Amino acid sequence: MAVPNTKDWRAPLMSAVCYRDPKAALKFLEAAFGFELSMLIEDDQGNVAHSEMRFGDAVVMVGSEWSDDHKSPASIGGKNTQTVHIQIDTDVDAHCERARKASFEILVEPADQFYGDRTYRCRDPEGHIWTVAQTVQAVSREEAEQASGLKITGWI
Amino acid sequence: MTSKVYVALRVKATPQRAFAVFTEEIGAWWRPSGLFQTTPRAPGALAFADGRLTETLANGKVFEIGKVLAWEPPERLVFSWRQANFPPDLHTEVEVCFEAVGDETRVSVEHRGFHQVPAGSAARHGFPDHALLARLAEYWQAQLRSVGARAELR
Repeated sequence: MAVPNTKDWRAPLMSAVCYRDPKAALKFLEAAFGFELSMLIEDDQGNVAHSEMRFGDAVVMVGSEWSDDHKSPASIGGKNTQTVHIQIDTDVDAHCERARKASFEILVEPADQFYGDRTYRCRDPEGHIWTVAQTVQAVSREEAEQASGLKITGWI
Repeated sequence: MTSKVYVALRVKATPQRAFAVFTEEIGAWWRPSGLFQTTPRAPGALAFADGRLTETLANGKVFEIGKVLAWEPPERLVFSWRQANFPPDLHTEVEVCFEAVGDETRVSVEHRGFHQVPAGSAARHGFPDHALLARLAEYWQAQLRSVGARAELR
Protein backbone atom coordinates (compact mmCIF):
# COMPACT_ATOMS: atom_id res chain seq x y z
CA MET A 1 0.00 0.00 0.00
CA ALA A 2 1.64 3.17 -1.18
CA VAL A 3 1.25 6.14 1.13
CA PRO A 4 3.18 9.25 0.09
CA ASN A 5 5.17 11.34 2.51
CA THR A 6 6.01 8.42 4.74
CA LYS A 7 9.69 9.24 5.08
CA ASP A 8 10.41 8.90 8.76
CA TRP A 9 12.03 12.05 10.17
CA ARG A 10 12.98 10.34 13.41
CA ALA A 11 16.61 9.65 14.20
CA PRO A 12 16.99 5.86 14.09
CA LEU A 13 18.05 5.44 17.71
CA MET A 14 15.30 6.25 20.23
CA SER A 15 15.05 5.95 23.97
CA ALA A 16 11.92 4.58 25.61
CA VAL A 17 11.67 5.75 29.21
CA CYS A 18 9.38 4.13 31.80
CA TYR A 19 7.31 6.03 34.34
CA ARG A 20 4.78 5.10 37.01
CA ASP A 21 2.74 8.09 35.85
CA PRO A 22 3.60 8.65 32.18
CA LYS A 23 0.95 11.35 31.75
CA ALA A 24 2.61 13.42 34.47
CA ALA A 25 5.96 12.77 32.78
CA LEU A 26 4.66 14.11 29.47
CA LYS A 27 3.83 17.35 31.27
CA PHE A 28 7.03 17.75 33.26
CA LEU A 29 9.29 16.81 30.34
CA GLU A 30 7.61 19.49 28.24
CA ALA A 31 7.95 22.03 31.06
CA ALA A 32 11.59 21.22 31.75
CA PHE A 33 13.05 20.46 28.33
CA GLY A 34 10.53 21.76 25.80
CA PHE A 35 9.89 18.30 24.39
CA GLU A 36 6.67 18.37 22.33
CA LEU A 37 4.11 15.61 22.39
CA SER A 38 3.94 14.20 18.87
CA MET A 39 1.99 11.01 19.52
CA LEU A 40 -0.14 9.67 22.36
CA ILE A 41 -2.25 6.54 22.37
CA GLU A 42 -4.56 5.91 25.31
CA ASP A 43 -6.64 2.77 25.78
CA ASP A 44 -10.27 2.84 26.85
CA GLN A 45 -9.21 2.99 30.49
CA GLY A 46 -7.17 6.13 29.87
CA ASN A 47 -3.85 4.31 30.25
CA VAL A 48 -0.94 5.37 28.08
CA ALA A 49 -0.34 2.63 25.53
CA HIS A 50 2.33 4.54 23.64
CA SER A 51 3.66 8.06 23.40
CA GLU A 52 6.39 9.95 21.63
CA MET A 53 7.82 13.38 22.39
CA ARG A 54 9.76 15.22 19.74
CA PHE A 55 12.98 17.15 20.28
CA GLY A 56 14.53 18.35 17.04
CA ASP A 57 14.60 15.33 14.78
CA ALA A 58 14.68 12.89 17.66
CA VAL A 59 11.98 11.32 19.76
CA VAL A 60 11.84 9.90 23.22
CA MET A 61 9.09 7.41 23.99
CA VAL A 62 7.43 7.93 27.35
CA GLY A 63 5.72 4.82 28.62
CA SER A 64 4.30 3.09 31.64
CA GLU A 65 5.76 0.23 33.66
CA TRP A 66 4.24 -2.06 31.09
CA SER A 67 5.91 -5.31 32.15
CA ASP A 68 7.69 -6.72 35.17
CA ASP A 69 10.95 -5.90 33.42
CA HIS A 70 10.11 -2.27 32.77
CA LYS A 71 10.32 -0.07 35.84
CA SER A 72 10.62 3.57 36.72
CA PRO A 73 13.55 4.48 38.98
CA ALA A 74 10.81 5.44 41.45
CA SER A 75 9.99 1.72 41.76
CA ILE A 76 13.56 0.41 42.08
CA GLY A 77 15.12 2.55 44.74
CA GLY A 78 16.03 5.41 42.42
CA LYS A 79 18.53 3.40 40.39
CA ASN A 80 19.14 4.21 36.72
CA THR A 81 20.53 1.64 34.33
CA GLN A 82 20.53 3.99 31.38
CA THR A 83 20.44 7.77 31.07
CA VAL A 84 19.49 10.02 28.22
CA HIS A 85 21.86 12.71 26.97
CA ILE A 86 20.46 15.88 25.41
CA GLN A 87 22.74 17.92 23.14
CA ILE A 88 21.67 21.51 22.57
CA ASP A 89 23.29 24.37 20.66
CA THR A 90 22.21 27.35 22.77
CA ASP A 91 22.32 28.54 26.38
CA VAL A 92 22.76 25.47 28.57
CA ASP A 93 22.58 27.62 31.71
CA ALA A 94 19.10 28.88 30.77
CA HIS A 95 18.14 25.28 29.97
CA CYS A 96 19.21 24.30 33.48
CA GLU A 97 17.14 27.08 35.06
CA ARG A 98 14.10 25.93 33.13
CA ALA A 99 14.59 22.39 34.41
CA ARG A 100 15.02 23.66 37.97
CA LYS A 101 11.77 25.65 37.71
CA ALA A 102 10.02 22.47 36.55
CA SER A 103 11.01 20.85 39.87
CA PHE A 104 13.88 18.82 38.47
CA GLU A 105 16.67 18.26 40.98
CA ILE A 106 19.94 19.68 39.67
CA LEU A 107 22.53 17.05 40.55
CA VAL A 108 25.50 18.86 38.98
CA GLU A 109 25.32 22.55 38.08
CA PRO A 110 26.46 23.66 34.59
CA ALA A 111 30.24 23.36 34.27
CA ASP A 112 32.78 23.38 31.44
CA GLN A 113 34.24 19.98 30.58
CA PHE A 114 37.72 19.19 29.18
CA TYR A 115 36.24 18.02 25.88
CA GLY A 116 34.74 21.42 25.13
CA ASP A 117 31.15 21.00 26.31
CA ARG A 118 29.36 22.78 29.12
CA THR A 119 27.07 20.30 30.84
CA TYR A 120 24.67 19.86 33.73
CA ARG A 121 22.93 16.83 35.14
CA CYS A 122 19.47 16.65 36.65
CA ARG A 123 16.96 14.18 38.05
CA ASP A 124 13.30 14.28 37.09
CA PRO A 125 10.46 13.79 39.60
CA GLU A 126 10.45 9.99 39.06
CA GLY A 127 14.21 9.64 39.34
CA HIS A 128 15.40 9.46 35.73
CA ILE A 129 18.75 11.20 35.33
CA TRP A 130 19.25 13.42 32.29
CA THR A 131 22.48 15.03 31.09
CA VAL A 132 22.37 18.19 29.00
CA ALA A 133 25.32 19.53 27.06
CA GLN A 134 26.24 22.44 24.82
CA THR A 135 29.53 22.58 22.91
CA VAL A 136 31.17 25.86 23.92
CA GLN A 137 34.66 25.48 22.49
CA ALA A 138 36.51 23.46 19.89
CA VAL A 139 39.00 21.11 21.52
CA SER A 140 41.47 18.92 19.62
CA ARG A 141 42.16 15.31 20.52
CA GLU A 142 45.64 16.23 21.71
CA GLU A 143 44.30 18.96 23.96
CA ALA A 144 41.66 16.65 25.38
CA GLU A 145 44.21 13.90 26.01
CA GLN A 146 46.54 16.33 27.71
CA ALA A 147 43.77 17.80 29.86
CA SER A 148 42.36 14.45 30.91
CA GLY A 149 45.30 12.07 30.87
CA LEU A 150 43.12 9.67 28.89
CA LYS A 151 43.97 7.92 25.66
CA ILE A 152 41.27 8.87 23.17
CA THR A 153 40.41 7.09 19.94
CA GLY A 154 37.76 7.98 17.43
CA TRP A 155 38.01 11.74 17.96
CA ILE A 156 37.59 13.54 14.66
CA MET B 1 -13.50 6.45 29.30
CA THR B 2 -12.71 6.20 25.68
CA SER B 3 -9.57 5.46 23.74
CA LYS B 4 -7.63 8.36 22.27
CA VAL B 5 -5.15 8.57 19.47
CA TYR B 6 -3.32 11.89 19.43
CA VAL B 7 -0.74 13.05 16.92
CA ALA B 8 0.76 16.50 16.36
CA LEU B 9 3.03 18.17 13.87
CA ARG B 10 4.61 21.62 13.58
CA VAL B 11 3.77 23.31 10.31
CA LYS B 12 5.49 26.40 8.91
CA ALA B 13 2.31 28.38 8.34
CA THR B 14 -0.13 30.50 10.34
CA PRO B 15 -3.08 28.87 12.11
CA GLN B 16 -5.37 30.68 9.63
CA ARG B 17 -3.54 29.15 6.70
CA ALA B 18 -3.36 25.68 8.28
CA PHE B 19 -7.06 25.72 9.17
CA ALA B 20 -8.00 26.90 5.67
CA VAL B 21 -5.90 24.21 4.00
CA PHE B 22 -7.23 21.52 6.34
CA THR B 23 -10.86 22.37 5.66
CA GLU B 24 -11.00 23.89 2.17
CA GLU B 25 -8.37 21.77 0.47
CA ILE B 26 -8.99 18.39 2.08
CA GLY B 27 -9.86 17.04 -1.36
CA ALA B 28 -6.29 17.77 -2.44
CA TRP B 29 -4.21 16.62 0.50
CA TRP B 30 -6.21 13.68 1.86
CA ARG B 31 -4.32 10.37 1.62
CA PRO B 32 -6.64 7.33 1.46
CA SER B 33 -5.46 4.17 3.13
CA GLY B 34 -6.54 0.61 2.57
CA LEU B 35 -6.44 0.04 6.33
CA PHE B 36 -8.99 2.74 7.13
CA GLN B 37 -11.33 2.56 4.17
CA THR B 38 -14.19 5.01 4.43
CA THR B 39 -16.19 3.10 1.80
CA PRO B 40 -15.68 -0.20 -0.04
CA ARG B 41 -15.38 1.72 -3.32
CA ALA B 42 -12.35 3.42 -4.82
CA PRO B 43 -11.43 6.50 -2.79
CA GLY B 44 -13.44 9.60 -3.72
CA ALA B 45 -13.08 13.30 -3.07
CA LEU B 46 -13.42 14.57 0.49
CA ALA B 47 -14.97 17.94 1.28
CA PHE B 48 -16.26 19.92 4.23
CA ALA B 49 -19.59 21.52 3.26
CA ASP B 50 -22.91 22.31 4.91
CA GLY B 51 -21.75 21.11 8.28
CA ARG B 52 -20.64 17.73 7.01
CA LEU B 53 -17.50 15.91 5.95
CA THR B 54 -18.39 14.00 2.82
CA GLU B 55 -16.73 11.78 0.27
CA THR B 56 -18.01 11.96 -3.30
CA LEU B 57 -17.34 8.73 -5.18
CA ALA B 58 -16.63 8.27 -8.87
CA ASN B 59 -20.20 7.08 -9.44
CA GLY B 60 -21.51 10.36 -8.01
CA LYS B 61 -22.73 8.88 -4.73
CA VAL B 62 -22.01 10.92 -1.63
CA PHE B 63 -20.96 9.16 1.56
CA GLU B 64 -21.18 11.13 4.80
CA ILE B 65 -18.09 10.45 6.91
CA GLY B 66 -19.27 12.74 9.66
CA LYS B 67 -20.98 15.86 10.88
CA VAL B 68 -19.13 18.96 11.96
CA LEU B 69 -19.59 19.28 15.72
CA ALA B 70 -17.44 22.37 16.30
CA TRP B 71 -16.17 24.90 13.78
CA GLU B 72 -13.95 27.49 15.44
CA PRO B 73 -11.50 28.86 12.87
CA PRO B 74 -8.58 29.14 13.13
CA GLU B 75 -8.21 27.20 16.38
CA ARG B 76 -10.37 24.13 16.49
CA LEU B 77 -12.51 21.76 14.50
CA VAL B 78 -14.44 18.71 15.69
CA PHE B 79 -16.27 16.23 13.52
CA SER B 80 -17.75 12.80 13.90
CA TRP B 81 -16.18 9.95 11.98
CA ARG B 82 -17.71 6.77 10.67
CA GLN B 83 -16.67 4.36 8.00
CA ALA B 84 -19.09 2.40 5.84
CA ASN B 85 -17.81 -0.80 7.47
CA PHE B 86 -18.68 0.41 10.99
CA PRO B 87 -21.76 -1.01 12.75
CA PRO B 88 -24.66 1.43 12.23
CA ASP B 89 -24.66 2.82 15.77
CA LEU B 90 -20.91 3.39 16.04
CA HIS B 91 -19.65 6.94 15.81
CA THR B 92 -16.18 8.11 16.65
CA GLU B 93 -14.96 11.67 16.98
CA VAL B 94 -12.03 13.65 15.63
CA GLU B 95 -10.77 16.92 17.11
CA VAL B 96 -8.25 19.02 15.21
CA CYS B 97 -6.46 21.92 16.92
CA PHE B 98 -4.31 24.67 15.45
CA GLU B 99 -2.02 26.33 17.97
CA ALA B 100 0.38 29.13 17.08
CA VAL B 101 3.94 28.47 18.28
CA GLY B 102 6.19 31.36 17.28
CA ASP B 103 5.79 31.69 13.53
CA GLU B 104 4.67 28.09 13.18
CA THR B 105 1.48 26.20 13.94
CA ARG B 106 1.17 23.04 15.93
CA VAL B 107 -1.56 21.02 14.25
CA SER B 108 -2.89 18.16 16.33
CA VAL B 109 -5.48 15.48 15.71
CA GLU B 110 -7.19 13.50 18.45
CA HIS B 111 -9.35 10.59 17.31
CA ARG B 112 -11.53 9.26 20.13
CA GLY B 113 -13.42 6.01 20.45
CA PHE B 114 -11.92 3.89 17.69
CA HIS B 115 -11.48 0.93 20.07
CA GLN B 116 -15.28 0.52 19.90
CA VAL B 117 -14.95 -1.04 16.47
CA PRO B 118 -16.09 -4.54 17.37
CA ALA B 119 -13.97 -7.65 17.19
CA GLY B 120 -14.57 -9.30 13.86
CA SER B 121 -15.44 -6.06 12.08
CA ALA B 122 -13.76 -5.59 8.71
CA ALA B 123 -12.71 -2.16 9.98
CA ARG B 124 -10.46 -3.84 12.55
CA HIS B 125 -8.50 -6.17 10.25
CA GLY B 126 -8.18 -8.57 13.16
CA PHE B 127 -6.01 -6.16 15.13
CA PRO B 128 -6.19 -6.05 18.93
CA ASP B 129 -6.82 -2.57 20.37
CA HIS B 130 -3.20 -1.57 20.79
CA ALA B 131 -2.16 -2.43 17.24
CA LEU B 132 -5.32 -0.93 15.78
CA LEU B 133 -4.79 2.37 17.59
CA ALA B 134 -1.09 2.42 16.64
CA ARG B 135 -2.01 2.01 12.96
CA LEU B 136 -4.63 4.74 13.35
CA ALA B 137 -1.96 7.05 14.78
CA GLU B 138 0.30 6.35 11.80
CA TYR B 139 -2.62 7.01 9.46
CA TRP B 140 -3.23 10.43 11.01
CA GLN B 141 0.49 11.20 11.06
CA ALA B 142 0.56 10.64 7.30
CA GLN B 143 -2.47 12.93 6.93
CA LEU B 144 -0.77 15.62 9.02
CA ARG B 145 2.42 15.38 6.96
CA SER B 146 0.35 15.83 3.83
CA VAL B 147 -1.70 18.77 5.10
CA GLY B 148 1.49 20.31 6.47
CA ALA B 149 3.32 20.02 3.17
CA ARG B 150 0.40 21.67 1.40
CA ALA B 151 0.07 24.45 4.00
CA GLU B 152 3.76 25.25 3.60
CA LEU B 153 3.33 25.77 -0.17
CA ARG B 154 2.78 29.40 -1.00
